Amino acid sequence: MISTIDQRKEFELLKRAYEKAGGDASKFLNKRVASLIISGDKVIGLNGLTGIQIFPQQIQDGVRARIVVEKNTIIQTPIHICTGFVEKRGLQKVIFEIEIGDNSQVRFVAHCTFPWVEEFTHSALALVHIGKNAKMYYSDEHYHSDTGSVILNTTTKAVVEENGLFVNNFVLTKTRVGKLHLDASVELRENAIAELSAKVKASKLDQVLIREKLDLIGNRASGIAKTTVVALDQSKVRVVNEAYGVGDYSKGHIKCEEITKGEAVDVSTVPVLKVMNELAELTHEASIGRVNANQLQTLMAKGLTEEEATELIIKGLIG
Amino acid sequence: MWLLLLDNVNLVRGNKYILKDINAVFETGKIYAILGTNGAGKSSLAYLIMGINGYEPSSGRILLDGEDITNLSITDRAKKGLTLLWQEPVRFQGLTVEQYLTLGGKIKVSNHQIEFILNFVGLSPNLYRHRMVDGLLSGGERKRVELASILLLNPRYAILDEPDSGIDIMSLSMIENVIDYIVKHGGTVIVITHREEIAKLSQEAYLLCNGSILTQGSSDRIIKYYKDRCDECSHVNLPSLEEMRI
Ligand SMILES: Nc1ncnc2c1ncn2[C@@H]1O[C@H](COP(=O)(O)OP(=O)(O)OP(=O)(O)O)[C@@H](O)[C@H]1O
Ligand SMILES: [Mg+2]
Repeated sequence: MISTIDQRKEFELLKRAYEKAGGDASKFLNKRVASLIISGDKVIGLNGLTGIQIFPQQIQDGVRARIVVEKNTIIQTPIHICTGFVEKRGLQKVIFEIEIGDNSQVRFVAHCTFPWVEEFTHSALALVHIGKNAKMYYSDEHYHSDTGSVILNTTTKAVVEENGLFVNNFVLTKTRVGKLHLDASVELRENAIAELSAKVKASKLDQVLIREKLDLIGNRASGIAKTTVVALDQSKVRVVNEAYGVGDYSKGHIKCEEITKGEAVDVSTVPVLKVMNELAELTHEASIGRVNANQLQTLMAKGLTEEEATELIIKGLIG
Repeated sequence: MWLLLLDNVNLVRGNKYILKDINAVFETGKIYAILGTNGAGKSSLAYLIMGINGYEPSSGRILLDGEDITNLSITDRAKKGLTLLWQEPVRFQGLTVEQYLTLGGKIKVSNHQIEFILNFVGLSPNLYRHRMVDGLLSGGERKRVELASILLLNPRYAILDEPDSGIDIMSLSMIENVIDYIVKHGGTVIVITHREEIAKLSQEAYLLCNGSILTQGSSDRIIKYYKDRCDECSHVNLPSLEEMRI
């Protein structure tokens, strides 16, 4: 699956980066695990399985890949996607078109690692279609360099058909963020369910803009969009989570928790709820502020310093 | 002999005495009960001893082994061996019971110890060690986790604020065992309770009423006094006119 010497070198670099980010690179060499490995604008690893077809294609500054999971396919082992960039500067675009056939069930584990970049923009677009009764879990973990100079624009647009399920988790907590613009939206048909979640730790001069949106179109569609952000130093965070209740008895909940530490953080959240059907039910909860005082004092009464207690609470919140 | 001593402590908030002229002595290795009706000031006393924000004494001193700890932080008090079981333990997102018990790995304990302690408080290790200490635990389960956490700390002074509330009556013997364990390991227990069975474990008791110590002494006498006199207490839970004049 890895052909040229150059590609092997790049693969080794990426593997190192991937493992640094907490990924298990042994999965890439495992023929029983579906995987797609992208470095810069090249696909350097690819493995499909019965029921899963991956069609990658090089585009200007990046890769476009169509991932098709056939109907009635249930795959226990997650599909691994690794997107990396091993140069110091540049631009990378990835476009994923993901089609999950009716009654199928798949899990994706995606790692994006840019550990050495100095000036870098990563634009990701995921267009997801989940068939009837199908389930898709997508976990997307990012690992950036500590220069804070990454610009990350990531957009997910998903449609979930009747009785389908979409769970999307975005995590960027281990390194500096840089500038993040995350936009995840999902359109839910009858009885469909979605859970969108984003966990981010922003520090120093990081800037974060998050929008998670639920369009509850079908009857009894339900969804939750939650964002947890820890904002440190002089970081700036905006969260706008939205829910639109269109279907009869559709239910949506949006939640935003922003924990701040430091005088100079600049955080805000705006919930947008719009009911377009009197039978729909939308709720939201939001909190912004320092770490909960009761939690803090509970841990301090066990001998932790305020700093240690804060760290443990934050670790729980964002992992 | 080690001593925790409250020397003429007052806690005033707004224009109200929450605690008034508190003098109390807690000797090492003993069990003390703090009794009193709802709103008497029991939890406030626990917070004050632990150094919780908002419960700093308005006057008076707290001494531990002769050292004035009135102005020490919660952490420093805990490092001297004081700890508190809250009446309503708070929940934590994303922390498993095991992470919580070890304070994120800070307390070094063996697998075996974790299992032993969880079993001790009536939680099956298999079912609970990987559960989150969040809102999905029931009130009683949360309290058991907290008791386990306190046992692992090996405290010299454990203030237990209603350890029995939320625990089913069948499991009262577990609370007795917890108290016994702390004392056997050289600790002192100050237990706040509304339950006679628990109060009876103590040797000495303080009866709080309207923020003051109404009477103190051997537990048998205080429990009897409480039952006989406080059931139909004429003291309403409001500061007296004299108390308002501060
Ligand atoms: N921070 C505070 N500010 C003002 N009043 C307070 C504060 N904390 C407690 N109080 C008041 O002090 C009184 C004693 O409260 P406390 O919680 O200590 O009672 P308690 O004896 O523990 O009661 P219970 O048996 O219901 O737990 C109550 O009237 C309470 O409202
Ligand atoms: Mg109380």
